[in-house]
Formats: sequence, C-alpha cells, structure tokens
Amino acid sequence: MTVSKFLVAAATILLSATTFAAGTHGGGHDHGAASGEPGKASEASRTITVEMYDNYYEPESIIVSPGETVRFVVENKGNLVHEFNIGTPEMHEGHQEEMMMMVEHGVIQGGKLNHDMMSMDMGNGKTMKHDDPNSVLLEPGQSKEVVWKFTEKGDIEFACNVPGHYQAGMYGDVNFE
Amino acid sequence: MKTRLLTGLLSLLMPAMVMAGEYDLTVDRVKIDTGDFVKEGIGYNGVSPGPVMRFKEGENVRINVTNNLDEMTSIHWHGLILPFDQDGVPGISFPGIKPGETFTYEFPIQQAGTYWFHSHSGFQEPDGAYGSIVIEPEGREPFRYDREYVVQLTDKHPHSGDRIMRNLKMMTDYYNRDQQTVGEFFSDVSENGFMNTVRDRMAWGGMRMMKADVEDVHGFTGLINGKGPDQNWTGLFEPGERIRLRFINSSAMTYFDIRIPGLDMTVVQADGNNVQPVSVDEFRIGVAETYDVIVRPKDEQAYTIFAESMGRSGYARATLAPEKGMEGSVPPMREPARLTMADMSGMPGMDHGSMSGMDHGNMDMSSSGDMSGMDHSNMGSMDHSNMEGMDHSNMKDMDHSGMSGMSGMSGMDHGSMAMGTEEKSDPFYAKGSGLMPKAANGGKFLSYADLKAQDPLYEVREPTREIELRLTGNMERYTWSINGVKYEDADPIRLKYGERVRFKFVNETMMTHPMHLHGMWSIVDVGAGQWNPIKHTVSVQPGTTVYMETEVDAPGQWAFHCHLSYHAAAGMFRKVIVEGGPESTQAKTDVIAKDGGEV
Repeated sequence: MTVSKFLVAAATILLSATTFAAGTHGGGHDHGAASGEPGKASEASRTITVEMYDNYYEPESIIVSPGETVRFVVENKGNLVHEFNIGTPEMHEGHQEEMMMMVEHGVIQGGKLNHDMMSMDMGNGKTMKHDDPNSVLLEPGQSKEVVWKFTEKGDIEFACNVPGHYQAGMYGDVNFE
Repeated sequence: MKTRLLTGLLSLLMPAMVMAGEYDLTVDRVKIDTGDFVKEGIGYNGVSPGPVMRFKEGENVRINVTNNLDEMTSIHWHGLILPFDQDGVPGISFPGIKPGETFTYEFPIQQAGTYWFHSHSGFQEPDGAYGSIVIEPEGREPFRYDREYVVQLTDKHPHSGDRIMRNLKMMTDYYNRDQQTVGEFFSDVSENGFMNTVRDRMAWGGMRMMKADVEDVHGFTGLINGKGPDQNWTGLFEPGERIRLRFINSSAMTYFDIRIPGLDMTVVQADGNNVQPVSVDEFRIGVAETYDVIVRPKDEQAYTIFAESMGRSGYARATLAPEKGMEGSVPPMREPARLTMADMSGMPGMDHGSMSGMDHGNMDMSSSGDMSGMDHSNMGSMDHSNMEGMDHSNMKDMDHSGMSGMSGMSGMDHGSMAMGTEEKSDPFYAKGSGLMPKAANGGKFLSYADLKAQDPLYEVREPTREIELRLTGNMERYTWSINGVKYEDADPIRLKYGERVRFKFVNETMMTHPMHLHGMWSIVDVGAGQWNPIKHTVSVQPGTTVYMETEVDAPGQWAFHCHLSYHAAAGMFRKVIVEGGPESTQAKTDVIAKDGGEV
C-alpha cells in the first residue's frame, strides 16, 4: 500500500512537472521597470519593518520616492506561512498560480514549509525554491530582509500570494511621493 | 477563600461595566410575495425575513420578543454560544412564548461572525420566521472589504409547513415532481441493456427509494433576502471594491449550489468562524449553514448570484451591479442529479438484488456505465489480473511505463487516483455519488476538506469517548430517526461537562442530513488536525461517515437534530443533557415545563 501510494504521488509530481516548467518559478519573473529592481543594502535610505499577521500586514501602506532603495525587515508574527512580495497586481496574479502549485504539492502546509520538497529537482532542473529577490516566504516566527529599489512610479503593491490570502485582502499599497 | 469572594463580587459587578444593547422583536402574521405567488406567513417586526440583528462582540444583549400570534412561539439564536435557558427551544431550554406575551432574552455576545435566528416552534420557520445576525468582532477582521451584504436564502413553498408535513406523511413523494419516467427507463435500456436496467430499478424499488430522491420537497420558489428570481434582489458596488457576502441558508429543506459567473469567491468564514481563505468558483451551502465570501468585481457590469438547488428543482437569483436595474444573464439550471448505487452504500444489510453475489471476474467493465459509483477500495482481495475487459481509456494522462511494480498492487484504489484535475472528487461524498459537486465552469468547488480554522479555538486532544449516531429513516413512511429510534421514543444523550466527545455520524439513508448541535461547537474532522474547523451545522452525505468532536463546555440541556424541518419533526432529533459543570448553572433544567414542548 505504501509503495503504491508513493508511486501514485511520484506519478502526479511527474505529470505536473511539465505544467510547472511553464510557470518558471525560481526562474525569475519579468521584473520590468514596473516594480523596480533588487537593491544594494549599502544604498538603502532607510529600513521599514513590515509585520505579517494572519492574514494582514502592518503597516498596510508605505510611501517611497522614485529611485529610492528601501531595506525591508519582514517578520512573520502569525501562525501561518506568509509571503512578502513586491510587484504589480498583474505580477501577483501570475505568481498566485505558482503558489497554488506549492500548496498542492505540500510545500506550504498551513504553518509549515516543506524544505525538502522545495529543493527537489522537478525533472527539468527547476525547483520550487522560493528565492526571487523581490520576495520572501516565511514560516511563523521567521524574519528576513528584502532590499528593493523603486526605480520609478508605478502601480505597486506588496502582497502575500499564499492561495486566498491576497484575495482576502493581505496586501499593502506602495504610494509614491 | 477571600480571593474567591472577591472574584465573585467582581463578576457580579462586571455586567454593569460592559456594553448593553436593548433590542425589540415582534412576531407577526405577514404577507409573503415571492413574485410567483403570495402567501400568508410569519415574520419579525412585520416582515419576512426579519431584520439583520447587528451585535458587537463583548456586548450584553437584551432582546424583548413579543408574540403577536395566536399560538406559542420561540426564537433560537442559531450558532450563538449562550446559557442554555436562552437558547429558545421549547421543552428543552424554556417553555416557549405564549400568545400576547413578551419574553426577554438576555445573554453575553462571546463571538463574532455571521449567524441567524429562527423560530423553533412547529413549522413557523418554514413559514417565514427567520432573520440574520451579524456580529462585529472586538479586534480587526483577518481580511479586508469595502462593503458587505447579507445574502439570506430560503425555499419558499406555497403550502404551509403543517400541510407539507401532512402530505409527506400521507405520500412521501407528494412533492417530488422529478420522478423517473417511462422515457427515462427506455433510454436507460438503450444505454445499459434491458436486464441491467430492470435489475437497477428493482434494487432501488427494494429500498423504497428512487434515484430522484435528492430533495423531498419540490415546488418552491428560491428567495434571496425575501426576493424571488424575478424580483431580483440587487446589491450595489463600485468596480474594484472588495465585497463581503454573508451567505445564510435559512431553507426548510433545500441545499443550494452557489456561483457568481465571472467572479472568484474567496471563502473566509464558515458558520461564523474564520477559516483560512480559499478561493472557489462554486460552493454548496447546506440547510442552516453560513459561508462568508469576498468577491472583487472589477468591471462596470452586473453579476448574477445564481443558486441552484442541489436536486435542481428550483433556484434563487440575485444581482451585484454598479447601478440599480442592471441585470446579468441568468444561466439555465443544470440537469437534475440522480443518486447512484454509491449513495446507498451506507444502508446496512441491504439486498443489492442480484448484485450481491456478483462475480467481478466475469464483468465486462466497458459496458457497465452504471458502475461508475463503484468503490474499488473495499474490494481488498480483488484480483485485477482477470479483468480483461477493463477499460483504462479514461486514464489518459497516466504513464504506466515507469511503474514497474504495478502488477503486484492488488489493493490499488482506482477511485481515489487523481488523474490531472478532471477527476477531483470530494472526500465528503461517497465515491461515485450522484451528488458529487462539480463547478459549472469546471473550476474549483468548495469541499469541507478545504475548510481549515484560521485561529483554532480549542487545543487538540484525544477524545474521551466516541458516540456513534446512525442517521436512519424509512422513506416510505416518512419516518426519520437516529439509531433507528425517533425523538419521542429516545433517551437523551448524556454528556459530562469537561469531556471531549467524538461523534461518529453514519448516514444510512439516501438523503443528506445537516446535523446541528446546539450550544457547543462541532469540530469537524476534515483531516487537518489542529486546523480542523469549528461549525454549528455538519452535513452528512448519503453513504458516508463523518466524524466531529465536541468540547463539552456548556452545561444544561440542548437540542441536537437534523436541520431539514420535516426530518427534525419526523424524529431525527435528540435532547442532549450535559451533566456537571459550574454549580450556578445546574439543576435549573428540572424547572422547564413541558408545555409547548414540541420541536
């Protein structure tokens, strides 16, 4: 029984690997000028602490000036896994499909991340590692940094794309001076 | 000792310090106009449905209920955690409210979310005696929205509840307009062959059930907030806003499948309790359940809220629109569901007719369309190697080539293998059940398995004991019962304060039963451990077993019943007595008079 279950699971993973490649998770999004670019910590003008709760941010909006580099200290103070991701609403929407896949494959399990599953080779050199420079994915109690340069004005939000969280309102506005 | 006295004094003073709200409700005879027909019914403050009662968590409420009817009445606050003598069930919580009298309910609000209230006397609730409750939380909600609407559904029937019950008792299929026809018999014959069809019909006849027994009361008009499909209740929005819709199913008998074509719905609450948000295309709402969803219409257009009954015998319809008068298209109803053999798999000792000794080895699988509901998982010793005719063609996405160990997998469960996305099945339905929900657009349909508590109320611990409740009935005589015994012949279920009981529901009937335990939360076992959600009403589908656990933390005596009005009245009902607990709440139960003691 265990063997058969494993085989079925393996088959499912193989099946979806093809679909997954199209998602190019870990392969980098299209970080166009729309949302900015990875910044250098040495150029950061200031540090903003963003606390993540179930399921909302504090603060829920920030003000930056065009060209400014900000060092974000992101802390997960909730009981569930949350993401802090800087992007346009369209980018978030695209990313949500990938995050859904991570839930379906058991990478995100409520309050836990399955790290073994994240680094597993999906058969095409791709993994489900969540290592884009515009985002961090945190378990409860974890804290990480994101350094981001807001190159120009745009429709930018920071958002949690764990399935359902963004739709329920877990996002914050990036307003420009 | 001194500290105790002090605490006692403090708790006496406490109520004076918290907010207190006073509310008035009158129970009245009203006219109900569905657009299809006008009937006399019962309502609150002159209308049906009654008002939205808005409370605040932490508040003490006093609600003065004046009975303007010429019969006894009562109000039950569905889903609210409160002292048992405020729960409003005649004969269990209190004697009821006499004609012309005013009864004052008084209790603290200890929770937040969407709930409802209704009469617990006779068939006043199906006759229109219901309203909604919205409780604002003390802290912030774990989600955001710009506006909110209560969306309260019901199945309004032209006949009064008393008349429906009389007719059902006389002839159980009195209200079933969806019987299988001679034409359907011949189309089955052409698809399945004559003998198979006759055998199938005989098996169903032997159970005194029909495949069309999904709903036992047809002929209703679905209402949303008191409006029929043509009257089209409309909620306004500005494009881009997030809207919280508080769905409440106040039907007497009807489950609804709800969708808003063009919009994702993110479910954030079930039965008033926050759940981890899950986005769906469609969901099924059981009788007495509530679901809160957030939608975000981005376009300047009208969206139809479409709620088909589970058996497709009727529907409710409403609209979300940027302006009054705008309408979206109303989709046609889908084909009525037909129960399958899987739905009767829970019936014990059932004679499957000629199926019982069936030799699967000789079965020609490719022509047995009716066997789709067959659960292969129970055939432990089945030898697949002899099944030459088995048709694997539906499993097209599967690559067998890598599975070298396949020949040894005799116990393999073909039913639960998810082949891509098309074969996703809900574990809360019997495999192959005719009631298995499917989203109209092929997308995501909410399952109980998706419901996970946002912030679990109770710690997980081992249950102290298990109580099995078999949901039983005889359709032919319209008797509904628990463990084969109807309410008037049954002893109460006795629980001990402080224990954690695991209830095992085994549905041995072919109908879905929404089981409602008053006064204490039902922790539904969806397999999520500490994240299992808490509900007040738990649907048990035909041919399935569902577990729920209850922390017995509310002293007194409570009702526990199927929330289908006519099933509860027929006897699928129990009194629960919680023994022990804080002294102040004990023994008062003896005082409760038996007058008006009817469900």
